[in-house]
Amino acid sequence: MTLLRAQGLTAGYGPVTVLHEIDIEVNEGEIVVVLGANGAGKTTTMRAISGTIPRHGTIEFQGHSIQKAAADAIVRAGVAQVPQGRGTFPELSVQDNLLAGAYVRRDGSKAIGDDIRKWFSVFPRLEERATQRAGSLSGGEQQMLAIARALMSRPKLLLCDEPSMGLAPLITQELFNVIGRLNREEGLSVLLVEQNANLAMHMASRVYLLETGVIVASGSAAELSADDSIRKAYLGF
Amino acid sequence: MKPLISIKSGGPASWAIRIACALAVGYILLWIPTRGSNSLIDTATTALTLMGAALSLNLLLGFTGQISLGHSAFFGIGTYTTAIFVTRWGWSPLKTLPVAFVVAFVVGAVVSLPALRIKGVYLALVTLALGVVFPQFIKWPKIAWLTGGARGLNDTGFKFDKNNRTYEIFGWNPWGNLRGENVKPFYFWIGIGIVAIIYLICRGLVKSRVGRSLIAIRDNSTAAAVMGVNLAVTKGIVFGLSAAMCALPGCLTAMKGSVVTPDTALLTVVGSITFLIVMVVGGAGSLWGPIIGAVVFELITEKTSDWVDPDKIPSLIRPIFSWSDTAPAGGIFALALVVLMFVAPLGLVGLWKQTIARVVSVVPRPAGSGTLDAPESSAGGIPTWRPQQEPPAGDEAE
Repeated sequence: MTLLRAQGLTAGYGPVTVLHEIDIEVNEGEIVVVLGANGAGKTTTMRAISGTIPRHGTIEFQGHSIQKAAADAIVRAGVAQVPQGRGTFPELSVQDNLLAGAYVRRDGSKAIGDDIRKWFSVFPRLEERATQRAGSLSGGEQQMLAIARALMSRPKLLLCDEPSMGLAPLITQELFNVIGRLNREEGLSVLLVEQNANLAMHMASRVYLLETGVIVASGSAAELSADDSIRKAYLGF
Repeated sequence: MKPLISIKSGGPASWAIRIACALAVGYILLWIPTRGSNSLIDTATTALTLMGAALSLNLLLGFTGQISLGHSAFFGIGTYTTAIFVTRWGWSPLKTLPVAFVVAFVVGAVVSLPALRIKGVYLALVTLALGVVFPQFIKWPKIAWLTGGARGLNDTGFKFDKNNRTYEIFGWNPWGNLRGENVKPFYFWIGIGIVAIIYLICRGLVKSRVGRSLIAIRDNSTAAAVMGVNLAVTKGIVFGLSAAMCALPGCLTAMKGSVVTPDTALLTVVGSITFLIVMVVGGAGSLWGPIIGAVVFELITEKTSDWVDPDKIPSLIRPIFSWSDTAPAGGIFALALVVLMFVAPLGLVGLWKQTIARVVSVVPRPAGSGTLDAPESSAGGIPTWRPQQEPPAGDEAE
């Protein structure tokens, strides 16, 4: 079943159009990866979907149009974003960051507390640092925090904007493993944008290749890496 | 360095310290109006005025990260609301407080509309314009029938009946010991009331879900938006609330002075700057910062007020300040600000926290105690993840 369907998605900043009528679909239970180089429009795609920049085209989430919805309404609908560069709140403690992630929830502190414990058990490092300022965490820990914080809103779809940015390869690998497990065991659907084609393609159900705001190829990871011209031109391996 | 003492948050030692602090504050609050000289009570009342304004600015700037150089205008709205209602329509001054609150809230919320789109230095300029325009607006001849124009308004405070000295607040008279001509403690207590209200509003907001969303907006507004915080509504309400709270100490200024003019220092841009200095010196983004800042500011202003005469300056620092032909409080604060920005960017409260952290460590309550005590059930089969490669990141940013 289609969870997210964006058609003719166009977005940009002021007079500059970055995305030119792209179509993206995420089905329930999928990990969809958008690959692209710097300036291809990956982050813009994320922002357009999460409603933090003005956009045109049709965006449907679970069959309802979210094209006109504001960013907070989109979060309530069940789309959580891990912003690029992590975007943790440095002056809040780790725990308060997680509580901030539960901002839209109205199901009481008991349920929210249960969720915090759940993510603490997935990311034990966060529990050790629960009362520390988030700004004092290392890059990898902050990325874990950013993901856990996004999950606090109990999303159906997680938007991950370059989680590998600035992290050591091994940390990135483990981070991707966790995302993969969340997908398998919790049924979480993920839309991930990455530059790191190698890593991301292993876990992807489907892949979109984005170049200067246009989707130049799409298909399963196997299909794309089987195509020599695409592999050489865009994937670099 | 390992702290010498460690105290459990919420434990008996922590409560003992809290009670001791509360008693000390209570003692000072009772000592000033009953034993203090009239000039001390006056100084304290002025400090309370600054406290209220700086506290409300702190909610906006310290916690939400939106600068305002227009708070003198909101302060002035309070002053003029009280002055106008008292002189034109004969209201009791205390009853004008809620009116001023509402008027300033509306003006603040309207002014916040540009604040939704701009930030930093641009927002500073827009709000600065408000601060500059306000006194001119009051002087505008077409509304002089209401505001008194440049000459201002007279008899804006309480009308004390010399024979029968009871000043009731909604039928309640708590000021038993006001004798003779001494009405200063009366204003002091109003100031205490106003500051208490503002402090409690700020505290209630900051320590809640809303407070987290404010700090989130300050630290990373995009991330706050994708957490589901409605930036426009939140910013607008906080701006309005900050303005409304800032009007209350403004009302007090009208109540205690018998004359209100548009050139009163705190009603001009000087007021905005003063509030800002008080807040920054005390500690931006901390609930107690503006309170400490206002006390220090008033103490220094008061202590140095007769330093115009070089012979009154303590001999040790006479060479530094003797050239000045006005009281050097402004210069002292400028110097203090420069030094503080290097030593303690988080103000006196930040400096205190840093220092005390070397001696006493406060052990926080275990993560989410209370809400998190329920037995773990839902973590399910997700394996734990612990990165091996990273160095322990303990004090990276300390």
